[in-house]
Amino acid sequence: MLHSIYAICMSRNPEEPVYNRIEQARTALGLTRQELADQVGVHYQTIGYLEREEYSPSLVLALRISEALNQSVSELFSMTAFKKGK
Amino acid sequence: MPKNNKIYWFEGVTEKGVKSLLNDQNSKFAWLRLQRNRRILVIIMTLGFLVLSLGSYWPVLKANLTISQGAQLVIFSTTAILVVLSTIVGYLLLRVSVRGIADAPDELLDERQIKIRNTSFRYSYYLMGYITMGLMILLIYGPGVSLFQGEGNDGSYLFIAVLFAFASLPSMTLAWREKDI
Repeated sequence: MLHSIYAICMSRNPEEPVYNRIEQARTALGLTRQELADQVGVHYQTIGYLEREEYSPSLVLALRISEALNQSVSELFSMTAFKKGK
Repeated sequence: MPKNNKIYWFEGVTEKGVKSLLNDQNSKFAWLRLQRNRRILVIIMTLGFLVLSLGSYWPVLKANLTISQGAQLVIFSTTAILVVLSTIVGYLLLRVSVRGIADAPDELLDERQIKIRNTSFRYSYYLMGYITMGLMILLIYGPGVSLFQGEGNDGSYLFIAVLFAFASLPSMTLAWREKDI
């Protein structure tokens, strides 16, 4: 019972992070979060969550984002952190 | 061409209503979506449910007051109406504060929103269990409350408070937990 109450009070459960370069790719194309969100069919806040690596996308969404940003999934997403400047 | 506004009877929402809440344009309630304000609303709602449920014990309170029957009737009826109306307004504000995500069907949400909605329902289910357990303990061991008898400790307020609480729990959980809505 105490664990449930603690979990409810906590903002969110920890999730295994999926690192990504969505923000860099999006800004390089001159797209806003809203524009990218409209292209891939999600709410603009979901793009924010993805860019902050606070949410791991499904494969379908990852593929849609990759297509919208003209990059492959492996270029855009990784299980390990990207090196800076790459 | 008439615009279709699909009504989701089971969820109690309309397509237009949910879409307008999900959209930031023309939003008068942006301030309500800040996590701090959402949490304040959740606390107020919780206190509101407690006050509403205590209405079951108002007759006991009434018996100890030295005012006329007419004045008692006016005071308690007005208080009851105000408490119930405030709870309804609070419930509606809560729905707006979470953009209606807790009540929206899958087809109007994206995958992250569906996930947070489902998580909020899971925790609400646990909370409902604890509330029901507390209620049963209260009914078994607490001071006698009779439902809809109109005399003694009438439990109607307790019943209404629990119903409102159950209906609000998914939105309350969502409002409390999520950073950005």
